[in-house]
Order: sequence, then structure tokens, then C-alpha cells
Amino acid sequence: MLKITDLSARVAGKDILKGVNLEVGAGEVHAIMGPNGSGKSTLAQVLAGREDYEITGGTVTFDGQDLLAMRAEERARAGFFLGFQYPVEIPGVNNVYLLKAALNAKRRAAGEPEVDAYEFLALIRQKMKIMQMSEAFLTRGVNEGFSGGEKKRNEVLQMLVLEPKLAVLDETDSGLDIDALKVVSAGVNTLRDPKRAVVLVTHYQRLLDYIAPDRVHVLSGGRILKSGDASLAQELERRGYDWVSESQVA
Amino acid sequence: MNTALSPAAPAQSPALRAFAAQWQSRPADALWPVREKALQRFLKLGLPTTHDETWRYTNLRSLAAQSFVDAPRKSRSDIDPEQPLSLLGRTEPSVSLLVVNGHPVMPAAGSLPDGIEICSLRELAGLDPDTLRRFLEPLSDADQQRWALLNTALFLDGLYLKITGTVSVPLLILHVAAGDGADDISYPRIVIDAAPGSSATIFEHHVAQGEHTPLNNSNTHIALGRGARLEHYRVYSTGAGATHLDSLVVRQDQDSHCKQFTIALGGGLVRASLEVRLDKPGASLDSYSLLVGHGDRHVDCVNIVTHGAPNTRSTQTARAIAGDVSRVIFNSKVIVDAGAVNAQSQQSCRGLLMSPTAEIDTRPQLEIHADEVKCAHGATIGRLDPDMLFYMLSRGLDRDTAQSLLVYAFLADVLTGMSVASARASIENALIAQLPDSQTLQKFR
Repeated sequence: MLKITDLSARVAGKDILKGVNLEVGAGEVHAIMGPNGSGKSTLAQVLAGREDYEITGGTVTFDGQDLLAMRAEERARAGFFLGFQYPVEIPGVNNVYLLKAALNAKRRAAGEPEVDAYEFLALIRQKMKIMQMSEAFLTRGVNEGFSGGEKKRNEVLQMLVLEPKLAVLDETDSGLDIDALKVVSAGVNTLRDPKRAVVLVTHYQRLLDYIAPDRVHVLSGGRILKSGDASLAQELERRGYDWVSESQVA
Repeated sequence: MNTALSPAAPAQSPALRAFAAQWQSRPADALWPVREKALQRFLKLGLPTTHDETWRYTNLRSLAAQSFVDAPRKSRSDIDPEQPLSLLGRTEPSVSLLVVNGHPVMPAAGSLPDGIEICSLRELAGLDPDTLRRFLEPLSDADQQRWALLNTALFLDGLYLKITGTVSVPLLILHVAAGDGADDISYPRIVIDAAPGSSATIFEHHVAQGEHTPLNNSNTHIALGRGARLEHYRVYSTGAGATHLDSLVVRQDQDSHCKQFTIALGGGLVRASLEVRLDKPGASLDSYSLLVGHGDRHVDCVNIVTHGAPNTRSTQTARAIAGDVSRVIFNSKVIVDAGAVNAQSQQSCRGLLMSPTAEIDTRPQLEIHADEVKCAHGATIGRLDPDMLFYMLSRGLDRDTAQSLLVYAFLADVLTGMSVASARASIENALIAQLPDSQTLQKFR
């Protein structure tokens, strides 16, 4: 599904990613953990196609295609989804319109007919129910006046509507209380199937109590220093990130 | 004939000589003294130069060489009925009045809704010069009022609208500029006299027809009586070659409310001034400006709002967009006189640059002579927010669609203030037509 080979990237003249290698297969859930400033969010943004991040080396293939050669909107239409750590507020652009435009862009790219208004509303109401979101959402601007938790729910809602092949969720758990965390996790879990993959970028092991990962990676200093199964997350929780850095040096 | 004129300053440029010559042809009626005073003052000020504070960004030097003549009087049959002239949709009940080169085409008796009476200014000058005189006295001596002075001196006719009650349908004044030659000038003048407790919605829509668009020196004077409410729109949609100098003056009595929209679409050069006096307690103003520049459009908007009484309130919301090599200027000033305690004012101007060669200049100013006031102002100019753009792209939207949506969203603060649905729709349509990917955008509304 996703193969990252020796990926390096620079942001504002500073090298952030220094040779990332990662392979995610269909049906898998991976977690990328790591301390602040390790490059987790940069990796997520680079994969989504942020243009002001300069790729200095390496390759990324997504579903057999050269991901780095695609523009952000092409990646989205091909089935890539980024759940933002800090979803931006866009006052004046209605939530539902954006979502409908996004879905139709994807459908057009796949040669499918556009969704009609009635069908779309039914779909979005069904997904809103899963995410336990209020009707007010339908009339508001994109993320406008949403709390941190509502913004994260909205990211997952968008993901559920767009049904991506690969979702990278950048700290979707941060800022959530325990009830919201459960809702968000349940939302993500509904997307788990043998044809899709999910990459969770997170600080904490907490999220992984609700979404069991197949693989856990530790990103630090712009490289993946350690990979393992779900037990690695628990060990990290117990021993801290320094343990990985130190054991790597040793 | 006015033969007694001896200008205080000799008219030096062909334009000033032409204005003096036009004055000679004006009738000597009861309003002659006030009009002559206005002319004298104008000739003394002369044409503005970029050294004048409020004309820094707008160069009218090319006008000086023109020998202006009055634009022709035309009738309804001279106006091309095929051209879509109405701002309001056909489904919206409304009443329209036609003014061609400043000359009103008077409607048939009985065609006006309840709550409104109209007569031509020419008629009013004969019947009730005292009433008209009240609307000819300048509100201030400010140099940006010079074109209002020229209009006062030289207007040939116009419309007097007396709002006597609640007017239930919007009233559309369609100003058509249609000249016969390159040196034509017109002086459209509208007076809106709203009686205490009355309410109305009035549009002034400026369009042009034909090869020659006269230099348009228009003026609207509004007086709101106690508790009167008015929603007033002025919409400029003339073509690329047009030059339009428009002055709007609003005087507000106690507890009156004015909602004013200034909307610059189209092309050419527009200088739009707005001067409002909130001279009685409880008077309030909400002013909205939507200024769109593309091509080599030049839009210069100057607002001055004076709080002259306690508990007065004003907001000014301006959204400017400039693309290509266009230039958009928005200067606003709020003056709070001594004694105008508890005055509240807010000025918000946001500019959006769509090309590296476009320019937006904005300057909100405050002049406060009273204590206990709440006045705020803010101005920002920038490009489309890259984070917003990336967010939308990352959801699969086309770049053009995403950009247009953001532009549209940028204008939302002004658009949502409009109460007349069909006017909002047609203004939105006109705006959207200027944006990339307009077909997709239509679906978002």
C-alpha cells in the first residue's frame, strides 16, 4: 500500500526527515510514535503533499504510484487522507459543501457519477451519528468555532465519508477527553478492512488501547529508530523515548 | 442664464473653463446663490491632485485637458431593452425608476407603492426650493467633497424621493450612462428624504450603454428622520473605460438606522465617497463595502463617519480584492465629537491580493474628542491563506475551486449583511463570474 524509502525532507532550511523507511501493507494499522520535534508531523504533511516542504531525497510509492510526483489534490483523489493535527478554520466555507465537493472530486477522478444532494445528506447523517456530532455541524463553516475535540471528530467524519485507502491521522487523539477518544477510535475502527490501511501518528500509548496497531514505530531525530509489535508501545510508555535513543546509540 | 459669475480663481484648465461655461447655461432660479457658492468653492479648490491628502492614490490629471459638455438627455426608447439592466431578479417584487445621464424618466402616476412620493428635482426647485436647498448645503468643507460641490452647482435634474411610511418592496434606481461623445459629463443627483418612522430599501445601480460613457459625477443625499430605517445600495457595474466620481451623504436623526452597501464591480475608475453624520442620540450606521479590482480597475473608496451625539453607533466593514494590475483603496475615518459620549464605532478592512502586480491601500483612522467611547479599528491585507488552501487541496478539491471558495468566503461578511435575497444573488453572480472556475462555484451557493 505505502512504501517509504530513505525519505529526507527539509522545512525552512532545516533538515527534519533524515532517511525514513517504512512499509505499510493493506489491512494494517501502524502507529508512529516519538518525542516532540522528531519529525512525525513533517512526515504526515510531506505525504499529503505540502508544497513548502522540500523533499531532499528518497521515494514514496502509494498503491504502486509515485506519490511524490502527485499534487496534493491528486493524492487525495487517489485515496490518500491526512487527518490534520491542527485542522484549520475556514469561515464562510460550509462544512457540508466542502465535504461534498471533496467526495465529488474523488468520484469524478474515478469515473463515477457525482453524488446527488439527497443521497449525500443521508450518507453524512449516518456518519455523523457514528461520530456523535450535532446537527449544528451542517450549517457551520469548516471547523468554525469548533472546540479542539470537535475539530478532531470532524477530521474523522471526513475520513469516513471519503473512505480513503490510506489514512494518516496526525495526533488525532491529542486534546480529546476519554469519551471523545472512544468515539474517535470507534470511528477509525469502522474503516478497518483488508483493503485499507491506517497510520496513527501519536505521542501517547492511550489511543492504542482503543485502536490496536499491527506495527509500532519510533521516529526520533528524523529516522525510524525502532519498530515492533503492539507491545513496543507499552514498553515505550513504561520506559520513555530516551530508552530508544539510548539503546540505539549503544 | 447666469452672467454674473466672476470666478474667484481664473479657470485655468480646459476642464475648469468648461465647468464655468456649463454654469453660464444653468437657469437662474431660487437656488442660484447656494449653487453659485458651491461652484466658487469648487473652482477655488480646482481639480484634485495627488498632493491632496485624500487623492493621493487617484490621479485625475487627464481630466484637466477635457472640454466637458453636458451628456445628452435621453428617453426610455433610447435605452437598449435587451441588455440585462436590472439588479433585482424578475421574481422579486420591486419598483424601478430610470435615470439616464442624470435625467429621470418619471413613472406613470399610480405606479409607485405606498409610502413613497417622488418628483423631479427640476420640479421641486420650482415648487418647494426651501426643501431642496436643505439638501444642497454641503455637509462639510472637506476637500474630498469637491465633486459633490460641482454636482451641486451643475446638476440639471434628478430625483427627489420622499419616504413617508413603510415601503414594502425594494426600489431600484437604475442609472444609465450613455454619452454621444468623449467629452460628455453627467451630474446625476438623488435626494432621499425619509420621514420619521419610515422604512425602505433603495438600490442605485450604475450601468453604462453605448460607445461613450460620460464622466459621471453623481451625488446622493440622504436624510433619515427620527426612527427611520433605510437599507441603501450603490452598485457600480460600468465598463472598462468609465470614470465615475460618486458622493453619498447621509444625515441621521435620533434612533435612525442606515445600512449602506457600496459595491464596486465592473471596470474603469471609481471614486466613491461616503460621508455620514450621526448627529442625534441613538443614530446608527452599518456600512459595508465590497470592492473588487481586476484588469486595470481603479477603485478608491473614502468614508467619513462623524459621531456628533451621545449613544451613536457605527460599523464599517470593507472587503477589497485586487487581481491583475488593479488597485483598490479604502480609507475610512471616524470622528467622535466632544460630547458624543458612549459612541461606539468599529472599522474593519480586509484586503486580499490575488496577483503580485495588484495593490491595495487601506487606512482606518480615528479622531476622538470625547471620553467614554468604544472605538476599534483594524486593517489587514494579505494573500489567500496557504493553510486553508492546503487543507482544501488535501481533500481533493481543484486549486481553482479552492481558491475561488476562499475568495467567496472572504466576501461573506459583506454578503450576509444583505437583506434582499435576489440582490444578494445577483451581486454574488456578478462576483462569481469574475472568479476562476465560476461554474463549479455556482454549485456552492
